[in-house]
Amino acid sequence: MSDTTKLPSDIGGEHAGPVDTLDHGMRHWERQANAFRSVVQMTKLTCTDELRRAAEELGSRYKDMEYFEITTSAMRTVLLEKGVFTEQELQAKMAEVRARFNVPDEMESPVKKGASMVQK
Amino acid sequence: MTNPTHDYYARSHHDHDHAHDHDHDDHKVPNPANEHDNGPPGEYEIMSRAMQELLEQKGLITAEQVAKRMEQFDEEFPYRGAQIVARAWTDPAYKQRLLDDGRAACAEAGVMLEAERLIAVENTPAVHNVIVCTLCSCYPRSLLGMPPTWYKSRNYRSRVVFEPRTVLREFGTVLPDSVTVRVHDSNADMRYLVVPMRPAGTDGWSIERLAGLISRDMLVGVTVPKLPA
Amino acid sequence: MSADFSFKSTYAPAPVRRYNVGDKVTVKRAFPPGHRRTPQYIRGKQGVIERICGAYPNPEELAYGFDGKPEKVLYRVRFAQSHVWPGYAGPANDVIEMEVYEHWLEPVKG
Repeated sequence: MSDTTKLPSDIGGEHAGPVDTLDHGMRHWERQANAFRSVVQMTKLTCTDELRRAAEELGSRYKDMEYFEITTSAMRTVLLEKGVFTEQELQAKMAEVRARFNVPDEMESPVKKGASMVQK
Repeated sequence: MTNPTHDYYARSHHDHDHAHDHDHDDHKVPNPANEHDNGPPGEYEIMSRAMQELLEQKGLITAEQVAKRMEQFDEEFPYRGAQIVARAWTDPAYKQRLLDDGRAACAEAGVMLEAERLIAVENTPAVHNVIVCTLCSCYPRSLLGMPPTWYKSRNYRSRVVFEPRTVLREFGTVLPDSVTVRVHDSNADMRYLVVPMRPAGTDGWSIERLAGLISRDMLVGVTVPKLPA
Repeated sequence: MSADFSFKSTYAPAPVRRYNVGDKVTVKRAFPPGHRRTPQYIRGKQGVIERICGAYPNPEELAYGFDGKPEKVLYRVRFAQSHVWPGYAGPANDVIEMEVYEHWLEPVKG
């Protein structure tokens, strides 16, 4: 009976492979995602417990996602629930951001620069 | 222009479908330099950026706040834990206060933790402590910075609770059976700091010099400090 | 906007509580749906109260946008590894500890 209610995050005690003990650091976008989440939590728009719950609701998708994919997805879920933005607003903004990446030299993409230097 | 690809990114990046061949393997460098990421952005990268911009437009946050947080996570938080522990090594009364009330003792040392309620646990000749968060990756971020990749990994989270000695061996830490292994599953509202044992032969060392012996992994309890050979 | 420096101590007061340090407790063996901070591997296991962390908003309510009131008392409980994991390979004195909210604990008789 426990299996039906076990959350995808509840993995303590499962068998798994050896630990890769090297720290691989964070990609730039992960640093942005982390800092963004931290700032949103400081505004009290949401809290850790809500984000954890929204992550768990990913269900079977959880195990195939990377850490910051999970946290970003959870942030989207919670902010949509709270009406901070609508799905339409998010889709439109994502299209706008995606288009900004489409420059000949990807290293010159403004989105890749520091979080505060986005060209509007 | 440098190409900051590191192994982890190259590997995961190759798993994605994309039209261009960027030939990352020719440019691998050992350090995870992170000024830029290579290749087309992933869906979650775009989503995270878009959410930030939406909240900026609505006046809920500013880009400066996010940039400031990135700086703190990179340049401030990762260096605090070693200072606290080195101070505890040089001042037994301070160490006791740290063990009694981690948050208050950090404040006393000028380290203002943010949301963390901190429990410091001490390694002794009889007890070795190791920290995990099986349910997510709870970690005292304003004391230690961001958790390392392995701390967030499925293999560490699932295994260290039931075979801690095997996992510690994978980090090169071998403990005799006479030492009690005390695993802490950081599953709710507290955050944890391991106070390692001060290596012998460091009498009279300054806090700064002692702090140089302390790495982040030791403060999670997967390795122990040693004098350089 | 800034970080929350409003509390000074690791511990919050919890004058009204059911258990004290040293009490034997059993973690409820229950499998309710929804957000829970009690891992399944520890449910049904017996341990000893290691310390009292204080009273905090209930995370199982905070997770759904409620205020978490009334607050619940949070304990740290110590368990013998050989009890939690049948077939545990390490020595008998190895332990695992974690935080468990009062409503997940039951007293051990005798």
